Amino acid sequence: MPIFETVFQEKPAIVLEIGSVYTKIGFCGEAHPRFIISTEIRSISDILKKSYISLYDQTAAFFTKIFFKYLLASPKDRKVSIVESVLTPTVIRECIAKVLFYHFEVSSVLFLPTHLVATATLAVENAVVVDLGFKETIVIPVYSGVQVLSAWQAQPLGSEAVHDKIKAELILNGVKEEILTDAVIEDIKVRTCFVTKQSRALSFKSKEEIQPCPDLEYPVDGNDVIKVPGQLREVAFEVLFPKDNDRLGLPYIILDAILNCPVDTRKVLAENILLIGGTASALGMTARLKAELTKLIESDYYKNRLFIQEVKFHSAPSKPNFTAWLGGSIYSSTELITSSSFTVTRENYLKNSKIPDWVNYESAFVRTQG
Amino acid sequence: MDFFLSKKIVEYACLCGVLSPLTKLYFCRHCLNLRCAFCCHHEVDSHFCSNCLENIPSSEAKLRKNKCNTCFDCPSCQATLSARATSIQVPMSTKGEGGDETDEGSASNKMVTKKMYYLACLACRWTSRDVGISDQTSQTCSWPEQEYFHSTRFQLLSEHFQAVVLCDKEEKQDYLRRKTVKTSKFPSMTDRTGLTVASIRRQIGFDKSAPKAKPKPTNITPSIATSEVEDLPDEIFTKPVNLKNITTIKQRLAQPANQPETVKHLYPQHKNLSIKRSLRCRHCEHNVIKPEYNPSSIKYRIQLFASNHVPEVRFVKADPFKIGESASIILKIINPTINDMTITIMDLPTEDEEKMAIEEMRKTFDKSVSIATKSSLTPSIMRPSLIEDPRMVDCKITGKIELPDSSFVVNQRDDSAEFDDDIQGDRQDPRFIIWRKANKVEIKLNVIPCDGLKKDDDIITGFTMQFTYSNVHTSTPEKESQGLRHALNVRVYINPGKISE
Ligand SMILES: Nc1ncnc2c1ncn2[C@@H]1O[C@H](COP(=O)(O)OP(=O)(O)OP(=O)(O)O)[C@@H](O)[C@H]1O
Ligand SMILES: [Mg+2]
Ligand SMILES: [Zn+2]
Ligand SMILES: [Zn+2]
Ligand SMILES: [Zn+2]
Ligand SMILES: [Zn+2]
Repeated sequence: MPIFETVFQEKPAIVLEIGSVYTKIGFCGEAHPRFIISTEIRSISDILKKSYISLYDQTAAFFTKIFFKYLLASPKDRKVSIVESVLTPTVIRECIAKVLFYHFEVSSVLFLPTHLVATATLAVENAVVVDLGFKETIVIPVYSGVQVLSAWQAQPLGSEAVHDKIKAELILNGVKEEILTDAVIEDIKVRTCFVTKQSRALSFKSKEEIQPCPDLEYPVDGNDVIKVPGQLREVAFEVLFPKDNDRLGLPYIILDAILNCPVDTRKVLAENILLIGGTASALGMTARLKAELTKLIESDYYKNRLFIQEVKFHSAPSKPNFTAWLGGSIYSSTELITSSSFTVTRENYLKNSKIPDWVNYESAFVRTQG
Repeated sequence: MDFFLSKKIVEYACLCGVLSPLTKLYFCRHCLNLRCAFCCHHEVDSHFCSNCLENIPSSEAKLRKNKCNTCFDCPSCQATLSARATSIQVPMSTKGEGGDETDEGSASNKMVTKKMYYLACLACRWTSRDVGISDQTSQTCSWPEQEYFHSTRFQLLSEHFQAVVLCDKEEKQDYLRRKTVKTSKFPSMTDRTGLTVASIRRQIGFDKSAPKAKPKPTNITPSIATSEVEDLPDEIFTKPVNLKNITTIKQRLAQPANQPETVKHLYPQHKNLSIKRSLRCRHCEHNVIKPEYNPSSIKYRIQLFASNHVPEVRFVKADPFKIGESASIILKIINPTINDMTITIMDLPTEDEEKMAIEEMRKTFDKSVSIATKSSLTPSIMRPSLIEDPRMVDCKITGKIELPDSSFVVNQRDDSAEFDDDIQGDRQDPRFIIWRKANKVEIKLNVIPCDGLKKDDDIITGFTMQFTYSNVHTSTPEKESQGLRHALNVRVYINPGKISE
């Protein structure tokens, strides 16, 4: 009976997107992931310092949970797609491949780049894809269906920065550090904070007296109550929009990515912005980015370089935190799952345990413009 | 009991090099070796619902997306919801619906009680009425399903790209046949790796830059970007927030499709199924664990727990350890099998010996793989498993055991013997055996802490235990005559305490 099943009835590929905090898991050809769970491979750089075996074991343990607790699917002889950022260090990609082939005996692994596959959810060929994740924001333009890798921009501007800000402020206000666990901070951010309007942000920055939004009492387990000041609710996300001269905030890296693309593509790109990643779910994020970008393209620096009049945003048929996963689901339900030259089959892996590399991290970094 | 077993004082090294307590290990009867969950192959055996214990065949489970039809989880706290019944008075309906024993004539004003159901969480008091789901007449199956807003669009996208890729494939084949040189549309955008612009795209297969001779497979309206984005509501700056109405991140992610922001949109979630897992030895493809199919049974069809086959070593007590002085430890050794065992305590392999053994294992494995990959006739399903790379035991020995000078016998397990208290006096035991009863033996060994230890450093010691094992299960007649006793080795690591001074 198992022979019939494996030979004649193709099992749907498993699609995984392993974020630094949340992992999206499901099957190809489905409109949303089955589960979004927290990533249990913690701070990969720390693990790597310890040993490769430790990274390998943690990955294997986490995947075991994914396959047998959540997806309830034997991974043996299955196809697996991994949606990941092109900036993922090779050692991690290799570790994932090794775990999947050796520990789980999957039949093939296809690595899909986050930014490229996200555009499949829109059926467009040109877009600036902005991944607002936990650790960082990565901007990569996609033009004519190709990632313009040389134009990428990345900054550690993500939810982590916002969490750090909230934590620091609350501790300053006298809240005990022990109760400010990561989960509590995240929940405070998700439920009470928002990205305020540009005008109000400016007022806060110039220390003008304006009435902040109402304060809030956030109860935590036990009988503690955390007082969340209204001003913190409004300005927590301001760390993503620093007032500075280094042009490092979110709007800058988006425009710089566009600027790194050939002149004739810039208008199209600016009019096709796609925000993905959970941080894009923050209330007011798109509106604020639009306001900032609109203002910035009028500034001297960009006006004479970009020649953009307008920015426009897409909205994908998904929640931002699984847009890339959804792209992976679409890609993996096509023939590409077997025919793409980025598919690594078990046989090939056995022969020369090599996996294709998108691009060399450094070389993309040095490159400025084509 | 659980505490006593779970504390990692005595651990065994699996053949793969991972350390586990004996209770977590398996014993492959066919390879006569220890196996652990890490190096065994896991398989989904059967699907069932952990709440209603319904057994669901895997093909059906797949259709139901691994969810139980009848059981729900609380969207607020993820506990299991229960259906509560209420009775309501409803006017006797006219003809059609009733069906109960009714008086046709005076129907109009008569009231009847009718049972209605709603879902309630006993843990957090959430009910399906909170979110406006109307009560249902039946306890099962009739709950309205939540629609996913983007399903149709997704379907279109998916079909579109499937067609695109197929079409591309044909074009590519055409192109290969004609062997004309294709020029790229955007030659300026090359990157450092030497890939041309379209190369990634071409490699991944989405290349459509070939002359569009054929019309696109399906027409899909691309998403239209807009400059009109939703602004923050003005009231956010003035109105106090009621936390009770806003979902937590956990609640949002528990409904990954919709990720509702307000509690109004929480919706009962079909309970995820559970599975029974079977484990298979990767060397010989035999099962070491295979559970019974029936979800309410906790029994196994195959259960090769190491604790039923391999002598158990228990740590009894140790003298305080002092730097540079040997101290004695007492271990109890228990024979779980129904045959007498001869046990020999030997040194652990040295690092070099361990490396050599690993090399040896790799070689035998490589051989089997190359044979399998060479013979093209082997159907893919018959391939041998890729075997997890064996590794060195991750444990540094800090105390050396003085080996006892002889082997000893541990009697068979005899459940009836537990009750007689005759002491076997006939055996001439070596001196290190300090106690013996039924299938248990206590031995006293000396441990010498290694040089360079400090106060409070852990003493970790170990030995290779060789034991005679009689494979009673092998029933092949020709083997039977040869006597089925094997001498097997397991590596045991013990942490008897810390340096006290
Ligand atoms: N539905 C949501 N509403 C509000 N915030 C959300 C939502 N989903 C996710 N987030 C927030 O977005 C942040 C990033 O989530 P995301 O899933 O994009 O992270 P990730 O992919 O693991 O990170 P990275 O891409 O950096 O590896 C989280 O910290 C979370 O608080
Ligand atoms: Mg991400
Ligand atoms: Zn093992
Ligand atoms: Zn059920
Ligand atoms: Zn509940
Ligand atoms: Zn075996």
